[in-house]
Parts: sequence; C-alpha cells; structure tokens
Amino acid sequence: MSAPFFEFGAFGESASFGVALIIGIAFGWFLERSGMGSARKLAGQFYLRDLTVFKVMFTAIVTAMLGAFWLGWMGVLDLSRVYVPETFILPQLAGGLIFGAGFAMGGLCPGTSCVSAATGRIDGFAVVIGMFAGVLATGLFFDPLQAFYESTPKGAFTLPQLLGTGEGIVVLGIVLIAIAGFRGAEALERRSARMPSR
Amino acid sequence: MSATVVARDGSATESLRGVALRTAQAYSNPYLAGFGLGLVLLGAFVVMGRGLGASGAFASVAAAVSTGVAPEAARSNDYFARYLSASGAPRIDWLLIELVGVTIGGFVSAFLAGRLSRSIERGPRITDGSRLRFAFAGGAIMGVGAVFARGCTSGQALTGGALLSVGSWLFMGAAFAAAYAAAPFLRKAWT
Amino acid sequence: MMPTHNSRQIVRYLGGIAVVLGVMAAFAGSPRRQTNARLDLDRLAQTVERDDDNVTAVELGDWIRNRRPNLRIVDLRDSAEFEDYHIPTAERIALTSLTSTRFRNDETVVLYSGGDGRAAQGWVFLRAMGFTRVYFLKGGLYEWLDDVMNPAISPSASENERLEFRRVSEISRYFGGAPMVGERKSSRPSIEVKSNGSVREAVSRIRGRGC
Repeated sequence: MSAPFFEFGAFGESASFGVALIIGIAFGWFLERSGMGSARKLAGQFYLRDLTVFKVMFTAIVTAMLGAFWLGWMGVLDLSRVYVPETFILPQLAGGLIFGAGFAMGGLCPGTSCVSAATGRIDGFAVVIGMFAGVLATGLFFDPLQAFYESTPKGAFTLPQLLGTGEGIVVLGIVLIAIAGFRGAEALERRSARMPSR
Repeated sequence: MSATVVARDGSATESLRGVALRTAQAYSNPYLAGFGLGLVLLGAFVVMGRGLGASGAFASVAAAVSTGVAPEAARSNDYFARYLSASGAPRIDWLLIELVGVTIGGFVSAFLAGRLSRSIERGPRITDGSRLRFAFAGGAIMGVGAVFARGCTSGQALTGGALLSVGSWLFMGAAFAAAYAAAPFLRKAWT
Repeated sequence: MMPTHNSRQIVRYLGGIAVVLGVMAAFAGSPRRQTNARLDLDRLAQTVERDDDNVTAVELGDWIRNRRPNLRIVDLRDSAEFEDYHIPTAERIALTSLTSTRFRNDETVVLYSGGDGRAAQGWVFLRAMGFTRVYFLKGGLYEWLDDVMNPAISPSASENERLEFRRVSEISRYFGGAPMVGERKSSRPSIEVKSNGSVREAVSRIRGRGC
C-alpha cells in the first residue's frame, strides 16, 4: 500500500475533488455533532464555562498525530509526501493574535461559521461574509504587507527539529499535555457549573 | 401556548400546553466527535497527502472575485496569484470544494438531529443587530489574521498541530491567548 | 445519542490507548522510512576508482557456492524477467522499493540487473543511505550467463588461464552451467545446458533482449 494515495498517482485531480467533498462532509458532520456550529457554545470556551472547543480540537490533533506517526512507522504512509504547513514565525504569531481577537468577537472560526450558516444561523452567515471581506481587503492591500508576510521563513519546521529531540518524544509529550488538559477542562467545567450562571 | 427551552447541552424541548415534546438532540460527546474529526484529518493525510483547511477557500473566492472586479490588480497581486492560473483565470480550489462539503455535512448533521433553526445566536444582553455587527467585524478581523498565518484553526491548528509544525503551534498559542485576553472586554456580547 | 456511561467508557479506552501509543512512540524511533541520505562523493569516487564497488560474476558464483554468510543478492529487473531466470538465491526488489527495504549493516548486498547500469545506480542509493557492504554485479546478468553459465576458453589459452578456467568450470557446474572449450560463436548459447531445457530457453530469451 502506498500512501498518500494521491501523491502516488492512485487517482487524478478530478477525483481529488470528489475526495475533497467527502472529506469536507465528514469534517462538517463532526463539527456540527459536537456543537461547534454554535457561537454561544464556542464563546463559552473563553469564559471557562464550556471547554468543548479545546476537547474536540485536541482530541482530533492527538488522534491524527498518533495515526500519522504509527502509519508512517509501519511504512504504510510516506510522511515525507504529506504536506507540512510552512513556518513563518512573525507573521504566524501576529496572525494568530489578530485571529484570536476576531474569534472572541465573532464566536466562530472560518470552518465552523460555514457549519453555523448551514444550520440556519444568521450570525454564522455574518461571520462568513465578514471573513470574506477581511481576506479580500487584505489581499487587495497586499503590497505594503508583503514584506512582513514573507518575513522569518523557516520552511517545514517541526517541533522535534526545534527541540532537537525525536518525534516520538514530542508525540508522547503532546499526548500527556492533552490528557492533563482534558482533566483540567473537566474540572473547570464542573466548577463553572456550580457557580451562579452568568 | 408553545415554548421552546434550549438546554446547555444543545438539546431543546418544545412544550405544548404543558406537554413536553423533545425536539432536538443533545450534542455528541466532544471526545468522540474529536476522535471522529481526527480520523477524518488522518484520512486526508492518507488519501491526499494534505490536511484540512477553511480560510484558503475564502482566499480563492476572493481571488476569483478580484479578477472580475479589478482584473489588472488581481493578476499583479502576489497574494491572489497562487489561486489563479497562469493566465489569471480563477482555478478550482480543493479547499473550496472541501468547504462546500463542510457546509453540506453540517446541514445534514443538524437536520438529522433536529437542530436546524433560523435564528441568531447571541448573549442575553445584546441585541440581534449588535450581534450581527460583532459577527461581521469578528469575521473580518479573522480574515486578516488568517492571511498572515496562512490558515485558521482548521488548516493551521488541526493540520499543522497534528504534523507538529512549529508555526502552527505558535499560531494556536497566540490565537487562544489573544481570544482569552479579548474575552473580558466582550462579556456583554456573550454573557 | 449514546447512553452516557457507555461513551465515558469508550472515551476512557481511547485515552488509555492514546497514552500507550504515545509511550511506545517515545521508544519507536523515527516514523520516517527514508533517513536523510548524505552522499560523501569523495569517498564514493574513491571506492569506484578502486573497483571496490562491484564484483565479477565468477566472484559472486564463488560466494554463493561457499555459502558466504549474510549474503543478499538483489535482482532489480521486473517480475516477468525474474520468473524467467534469476541468479540462484536472488530476491527481486524493484529499484523504487530499494530505498525502503530494510537491510542490516552486516549484510553483504549484491545488486544486479540485465546489464550493470541499473544495478550501479542502486549501488549509489544504498551507499548514500549508509550501507557499506554493497556491490553491483559487473556486467550484470549477461556477464553471469557468459562467465558462469557458459564459460568458454580458447584452445590456445596459457597454463594460468587453464588453471583459472578449471576453477571457473567447477563453479559453473555447481549452477548447472556448461563450460566449453572453443570460441563462443555468437551471443546465443550454442551448447547444451545441462539443466533442463527451460533454463536454456530462458537464457536465450534473456540474451535476445539485450540492453
């Protein structure tokens, strides 16, 4: 078995769009199932009332991370052919800060805003339109921003490379941090449930 | 005569003249849903050699729109260029199709769970109009952030997180930090 | 949707599995098959100059006959050609799978193909990956067929050459070959191959295909 299948020529570009649709449907399904299409639920994260976002995200990250590691180790998945997002230290730091502020304000992220809009939420639709406007505006005024956008490139820079340790150690570390985080999240939610609701 | 009470777990109960009729299901266990999500992400790695995403789809639509509105600017724009073909025509973007799928998946799930509802979600202390303005503004700000970060929570946090990319973890940390920092100022909107 | 205590149990199991997989990962080594190959070109060039990168067919025959320990002979051709005829004890590995095959550092790997081009390329790959006991068969399978399966000696050979030929003949007969005295007229075998006829057909098929 040679995976990633697309990279090894198992199917062409038109079929890959079919794959995109299927993957997207599954993605949207699980987002809605966990309530991530609800802005109030997502915003609850930031008042430590409802930490569903953290639980869903980190469970997903740990699952895919362990899956990728072991499929790679078994030789089933060729990890060198999986696209790792490139690192640009400053722009991603700045982008993250800006994104987070917007997230707290809108209560939905790009993916979940589509889910929210699909379920009939008008505020979800508003976030979608806003996202689009923001991206369009930044794109149109890209010239003066380009230098910053392209600064501090590091290529496909991974945590094991940064820390100088093996991938397995980093994987274990993240699993343990996630489990500790989940315990903490449960405790916070129980505490918040006991407090007078606001 | 009829009243709907929505519980915090998402389930809703509509009662008619005092008789309760359950109308909407509670949300799934977040860990199980997250596990499913992780398998979908892993599936993308195995089948396509890439991860998920969302903001990239917005960028490709923006690129397509800009070719219609200001073709010269679009062609010479280094940001939109990667979403356009060599001749400047819009290309079909994988992420765009995926996002269409996300919308369909979200709709089907909500439909089956009885959670479809034309409504505006907001905190109890603000008006519908305020909420919509905040939503738009929040979306726009996220759009700016997503451009610089080369992604959002789907593309960077989930995908880059699972693949241990330093930039992705930086993005995740910064985004959560900023959101928690901004939250106290936005209490009125949500609580 | 699901009874809550069942989901909690499943979540606990998943969490436990995650921890186990995580701990195992810490001891598992790299999940990436292809180690970063580095080419020490100077060293490789010297090895080539010294002719230390290849073995002759007769040497290889000797190694097989003497059951040299940890010897691995790799046929780089396609499966049809391999089924037709292959050097005894050889295994088939495609060039594209070569770099993901697990060789041990103490194994002596001999690569061969029809000629020696492909095998020499495979040699570079394996050397780049850090294996040092790698050779390719000089002249490839054709040389094997010529020198081991059908060795020939001219009637006017010197005493030393005859001695050498006797040694080669022994090896040849071990593999069912047929040594002969006289000129080898054409590239097609004109002598009886002692083993069954299918080998002879196979040999002529191989010769006919050429480079």
